[in-house]
Amino acid sequence: MEQRFFRLLTFETNGAVKGLVRWSMKMGKSSKKSGNVLLCALCTILIVSAIAGTVLINCTTRYNVASSQVQSWKAALQAAEAGGDIAYAELRKTILDPSNAFSGWTSSGLVHTSPVTTLGSANLKASSAVDLFYNDAVTGNPWYRIRSKGVAPMLGLRRTGMDDRMISGARGDSLLRKIDFNYDHFISAYGPNGDGIGKALVAVSNAQLARRIELIAAPITPFEAAIKAGGTFYGLGSAAFVDSYRSNNGAYDSTVKNNPSDWRYPDSQSGTVEINTAVATILGSIFGNVYTNGGTVTKKTTSISGIIDNNVPFDLPPFKMPSTSTWNYVASPSEVTGNTTITPPVGGSAASPSYYLISSFANNGNLTVNPAIIGGVAQETYVAIHVTGDIGNNTSSQPTITVPAQVHLQVYFDGNFQTKAQNIVNTSGYAGNLQFYAISPTLPNGAPDPSVQQTINLNSGGGSTAGFAAVFYAPSANFTINGGPDIVGAIVCKNFYANGNVHWHYDRALDTMGDVVDYRIASYVEDIR
Amino acid sequence: MRLGHSRKKCGFTLTELMIATGTGGVVLAAIMASSIALQKTLNAIDNYFATQMQQIRIIDYLNRDVKRALAVTTSVDLQSVTITLPSYLIQAGDPEAIANPSLVGTARTPTISNTSSGPQVNYGASTSTIIYSISGMSILRTENGSVTMVASSTDQLVPQTTDVELANTEYARTSVTFQPIFTSGNLAAERNGTTLFSTAYLRNKRRG
Repeated sequence: MEQRFFRLLTFETNGAVKGLVRWSMKMGKSSKKSGNVLLCALCTILIVSAIAGTVLINCTTRYNVASSQVQSWKAALQAAEAGGDIAYAELRKTILDPSNAFSGWTSSGLVHTSPVTTLGSANLKASSAVDLFYNDAVTGNPWYRIRSKGVAPMLGLRRTGMDDRMISGARGDSLLRKIDFNYDHFISAYGPNGDGIGKALVAVSNAQLARRIELIAAPITPFEAAIKAGGTFYGLGSAAFVDSYRSNNGAYDSTVKNNPSDWRYPDSQSGTVEINTAVATILGSIFGNVYTNGGTVTKKTTSISGIIDNNVPFDLPPFKMPSTSTWNYVASPSEVTGNTTITPPVGGSAASPSYYLISSFANNGNLTVNPAIIGGVAQETYVAIHVTGDIGNNTSSQPTITVPAQVHLQVYFDGNFQTKAQNIVNTSGYAGNLQFYAISPTLPNGAPDPSVQQTINLNSGGGSTAGFAAVFYAPSANFTINGGPDIVGAIVCKNFYANGNVHWHYDRALDTMGDVVDYRIASYVEDIR
Repeated sequence: MRLGHSRKKCGFTLTELMIATGTGGVVLAAIMASSIALQKTLNAIDNYFATQMQQIRIIDYLNRDVKRALAVTTSVDLQSVTITLPSYLIQAGDPEAIANPSLVGTARTPTISNTSSGPQVNYGASTSTIIYSISGMSILRTENGSVTMVASSTDQLVPQTTDVELANTEYARTSVTFQPIFTSGNLAAERNGTTLFSTAYLRNKRRG
């Protein structure tokens, strides 16, 4: 048995050696055994290739996700937000540079649509649409909706697809990053505006990622602080004070500001003063915050109940006459001389007031604006007056303006304003019902005119403490008030000077009153469909 | 040249065969061990990168929702995040959808209301709620009761989020870690080495 096994091995081995010899000597002739080697080599190559292929697919997929899909997904949001910024900038122009607002855009009704902007080295695309969707019933100020779309082209092989592997039955990335490989999924599923209208199969030239955001631009009204000075500040007098109240909660009560247990107390501490320079001499008591731009105000030298922050710069752009296109122009009167009464034909609204153009307001002019009477009943009446010159032109002049309850008067003036505090009569006592706007002096080309200094001087003659309820928006005017009037309202001016024991009460209801002077983004939503 | 005449010398002795067989066995065992190790390594690397992709996905989901949120609240153990956000889209069961079912899935037009802190933009009468939580090996995202699995891995993905409230805004700081399957001793350092950080701010004014 052992010998037979040995012989067999010997024979087989011998045969192998013969074959080897034959193979080595005659390579041109193949044999079954050389085929085996080739087969083994091919199998090895196949196995290694399969492994390499699997590795390559995994690597490419993950590489595509990490370097292309995630990047494009984030870049698409950046593009969408860039589109939102562009739209926001155009919207701000409606206040700051109306003649150039939405230039180059397509406008249809209340909707403005931008051209496509290409940005960045990745050729991101941004487009947006702005529409007026709401008018404030009280102020008439518009609210705008900005819808912006950002598109980022996606690099990498589209055939590699997405990394959707997680566990069986669950989708991974495709739920989050909705890539348009061949067709725009949003338009086909929801329509171009996302409202289900106009669904269509729209092919995309390259794989892309799109993201959409919706912003709401809210109007900024001018009277968010009691006193806001773009230049220097001096005042208000050693015995003066600035406090606040909320007219919605009843009439002003001077005891509330010193009574923390009173439920109205929180509204009494908003007599805020904002100064956009370092030149700030604070006198009297401030029941609110004080902000300066580089000032040195401290609580050691002042009586300030709230926060002191000496690093709060702000922008106070010149004021331009707003558009009167929706206002109801009334031709008469066109001058205020002696006793002049205006009785508008209709009540109108904040967005459509009765509009009077006054070319002259005499020093002795006494203007009274009555409510519209319809059917024998006095109406809530909205009136806008544009005085193209001064209202009083010397400190001894005493023009008067009288506004009964139910009248909401806005006075725009191009020149200066000088009178006595007690000559501003607002019967309702509500400062929002009497608003003064000083239109910034400009050069013929529309640029601000630095050579003209606008002024507003209000004096309290004869030591009178009689004051007024009104607001002033005069970013280019120097404001001076003397004496000790009791004032309800707010002011925005260039340099502020008060020398007397002024009692200044800011009405927190003014937060949202007045003409829009700018816009802020009040809401941000992403459409994740 | 004389191979044909020395048959006995052409073969192998038993000793030679045993040595050859033993050597072959050792080589085969080494190849097998190497193959298994290679396969394990490949699997571990594949798993590692797959889990990294899921880390990114968790962060991206969270950031997207935090940016459009009105408020973010994290649990004490930092592993559950509740996000309140505007109800931008009309859902089945909403008053608008009941009145007109074709509106389901479409966007709402916002309304403005006046509050003690100023005007406020609203999408619908109520807000939506999204909750991120951990369930076993999975990270779940529950939006108004509807559950979506955001990530799932045997590598024990652990997201941790803290929310920091500021005067009018808020931000959420998130870190996501996992335990790679080929770690040597389940050391904390090995988990820490996989950490992915992210910070996202609310774009909206914080409510609540």
